[in-house]
Amino acid sequence: MSAAVEIQNPYLPEPYRLIRRYPLTDDVHFFQVRAVDMDRALSLKYSPGQFMMVSIPGIGEAPFSISSTPSRPGLIEFGIRRVGRITDQIFKLKENSVLGVRGPYGTGFPVDKMEGKNLVIVMGGLGAIPLRSLLQYALDNRDRFAHLALIYGARTPGDMLFRKEFLSLMDRDDIQCLLTVDKDDTGKWPGHVGLPTVLFKHLTNLNPKDTNLVVVGPPVMYKFIVAEALKLNIPKHQILMSLERRMKCGIGKCGHCIIGGYIYTCLEGPTFSYWDVTHMKGLI
Amino acid sequence: MRAVKLKKSHLKGFLTCVGGWGELWGPVKRNGRHVLESIGDIKDIDLTALRTTLPFKKLLFPPKFSMFRYDANGFQDTLSAIPKRVIFGLHACDIKALCILDEFFAKEYKDPYYYERRNRTAIIGHSCIPDDKCFCNATDNETVTEGFDLFLSDLGDFYLVWVGSSLGDDMVRECPKLIDTNVGHEDLKKYIQFQKHRSEQFKRQIDLTGMPDIVELSMDSPVWEEEGEKCLSCGACTIVCPTCPCYNVNDENDLGKPSGERMRQWDSCMFREYSLVAGGHNFREARAERLKLRFTHKLQSFVGKFGKPACTGCGRCIDTCPVGIDIFTMVKKLQGEEVRS
Amino acid sequence: MERKKLDIGLYGFTGCNGDQLVIIHSEDKLLDFFASANIRSFSLAKSDNEQTPLDIAFIEGSISSQEQVEHVQEIRQRSALLVAIGNCACYGGIQAMELGREGWDRRFQSVYGENFFEVRTPIESKPIDAFVAVDFRLPGCPIDADQFFAVYSSLIRKTKPQMPDYPVCAECRWRENECLLLKGQLCLGPLIAGGCKAVCPSHNLPCVGCFGPVEEANVSSEFALLKEKGFTVEEIRRRLRIHSGSGVLKSLKNLFGEV
Repeated sequence: MSAAVEIQNPYLPEPYRLIRRYPLTDDVHFFQVRAVDMDRALSLKYSPGQFMMVSIPGIGEAPFSISSTPSRPGLIEFGIRRVGRITDQIFKLKENSVLGVRGPYGTGFPVDKMEGKNLVIVMGGLGAIPLRSLLQYALDNRDRFAHLALIYGARTPGDMLFRKEFLSLMDRDDIQCLLTVDKDDTGKWPGHVGLPTVLFKHLTNLNPKDTNLVVVGPPVMYKFIVAEALKLNIPKHQILMSLERRMKCGIGKCGHCIIGGYIYTCLEGPTFSYWDVTHMKGLI
Repeated sequence: MRAVKLKKSHLKGFLTCVGGWGELWGPVKRNGRHVLESIGDIKDIDLTALRTTLPFKKLLFPPKFSMFRYDANGFQDTLSAIPKRVIFGLHACDIKALCILDEFFAKEYKDPYYYERRNRTAIIGHSCIPDDKCFCNATDNETVTEGFDLFLSDLGDFYLVWVGSSLGDDMVRECPKLIDTNVGHEDLKKYIQFQKHRSEQFKRQIDLTGMPDIVELSMDSPVWEEEGEKCLSCGACTIVCPTCPCYNVNDENDLGKPSGERMRQWDSCMFREYSLVAGGHNFREARAERLKLRFTHKLQSFVGKFGKPACTGCGRCIDTCPVGIDIFTMVKKLQGEEVRS
Repeated sequence: MERKKLDIGLYGFTGCNGDQLVIIHSEDKLLDFFASANIRSFSLAKSDNEQTPLDIAFIEGSISSQEQVEHVQEIRQRSALLVAIGNCACYGGIQAMELGREGWDRRFQSVYGENFFEVRTPIESKPIDAFVAVDFRLPGCPIDADQFFAVYSSLIRKTKPQMPDYPVCAECRWRENECLLLKGQLCLGPLIAGGCKAVCPSHNLPCVGCFGPVEEANVSSEFALLKEKGFTVEEIRRRLRIHSGSGVLKSLKNLFGEV
């Protein structure tokens, strides 16, 4: 017992098994994992908007948004785009292999405060990955939210992540599902064509004070969507988003994700409100 | 706080005695500069040392170290082989920096690499006389009342020793023959005189009052761009800064094997890739943006979080930057003063 | 997870073979190195070299004859990945030193006169990438052994190696050296990529730039600083030339335009 380690080491990844994987698009794949320790898998608590650090030994570690919902415990899902050293290796993993995962980390969307209000979810590109978690959470707890709307803009139908899953929502009457593509190259697209901003005209009869709008997408998207949300008079602190930053630890130590001088995105974010963004410089 | 006296002639004996608690480290002179080193012979310690080239942080989170090993069976901690140490010769500014780091590494998730070392480290402070680069008087770090086990103030032929922890108390009690517990009014008078003399030695005039607001209102100042054009992005300022904790993580493989170590290495917000994400977007492409981050962090945001700047006034960045971009000149420039850096 | 061993080749062109020597002198790594891949060719270390298709070719030295051009093109053709190692291969080395306006032909003439070259057709020495595509550069004169094995480990795992994004100065500060620029010496540290562990400044010798430029070298600031320290443009130019073959000059565009 001479050199017992007294503090639990938050940097040590836990073993997770890759249960299932399949492509969502050419370069974005779906990865479903579960903690090898079954008790751990079932007791894992997280909230929509949080992220985890995924390790490939010998290559490194990177943060990934959780795409599954805590309302369906046991399995954790990620949507991962092949974009660099680490994701290259993640894409080589076969089902049933074991990888290192730690977390969940970060501050998720304030779902408790959002309950009882209208929820408008606006996704663009990879923003569908973290927001699918919130969407499924809201669907699983449908009675806790008032009006529920989904706006998703993709370049083409082929670029739309979770396309089948979202298309199936169009038949439901408890969610307003507005899917749009910039260009329909299939000729069979049942949704809208055009920029997501034009879909805002379908959001009628929403009391803005009782509405939360959550937007995650490519950087260029925020400006336009926030402008639409402000036109609807949604208060700045009820317009929510999630930001991407370089992260090497996920727990407020390595420094890379700092914004505005001392905001560690990994602790206080990655979810922020538009009010945070306007009073802290350098967020978007 | 309990205070005792130690005759100067007893210092060597005392350090030998406390050396029994752990490996003794202290400032020595190497090629004209002071460096914290493991002390073999107590004679090597240079009591005149002011700022060591690298601060004590190199002992609490070394420039590069292994976080854990990995192999086909998973991840194994490598936290066990951390030696006990006694660091002698830290000054008030160093100890203030230590307090800042203690708080930082405990925040939210306690960092085991820092704390396993910290918990095995005893601190014996030593008083100093400021030189022309010191400005700890402006950062409110002239004296310390916490963060050390013992603190020795040089009062001529003896040291007044503040006992700052129960470990410090044990150290003092272990060498009763060397310690004089009889501290009288005259001794305290000498101490106050010493402090007065010390505070008269500062040569730099700087006032940090209102810096958070000044920084906030200077976001669009041309100062950032001007300094960014000079900055060599060498990271020297962050490397020598006693409160800079940022690091990078890299896996190092055993050659041709599936095993290896995850290494942690000092990083710097001055480096190009500091805010670079996969896919190629760099949130701080411009050097000016990186400088803005560093000085906003030290002088503004940190004050908001911890009620004090993350600068202790140790003068290391003034001593180190080849092109003169340091806390002192930046503060002056942001305050609108003409300074030659 | 047993991987198929990769086929590797190491070649030396014009240079001192110092980079291959660095590998050979890493005795503690050699057994693992030879076990980690099929070393098909290693011109300095073995004689039974095979000219087979390769997963990775490591090339040391610059190209200074027509025959070498053909050989390096032939290696490129049968190699999936080509890695330039050492300053000569990466940037041209001393033999490709930037010498101003005086042309190579004239210099060659003044040294060798009309001597007839039997075995080779000499050409102006240039880095590897002047003739074939280079996938990765590992600079240094010589290369750093630890960096070589780290890069090699990454490459045989088929992942892109990570190289320092910081200049020599960072490593110099980590080693607690006194800054030679502050001492008034002509040190190129701020312009040069880290990776060498600041070996020269640690022995009180200013950096001469053998690792080549760091990606975002602030040339104008370094030049202003050196001029302020009293160095003339000619002195700075001479120092930079030592290891700044044509490859460096290309990446430090307008280098001398700014002074």
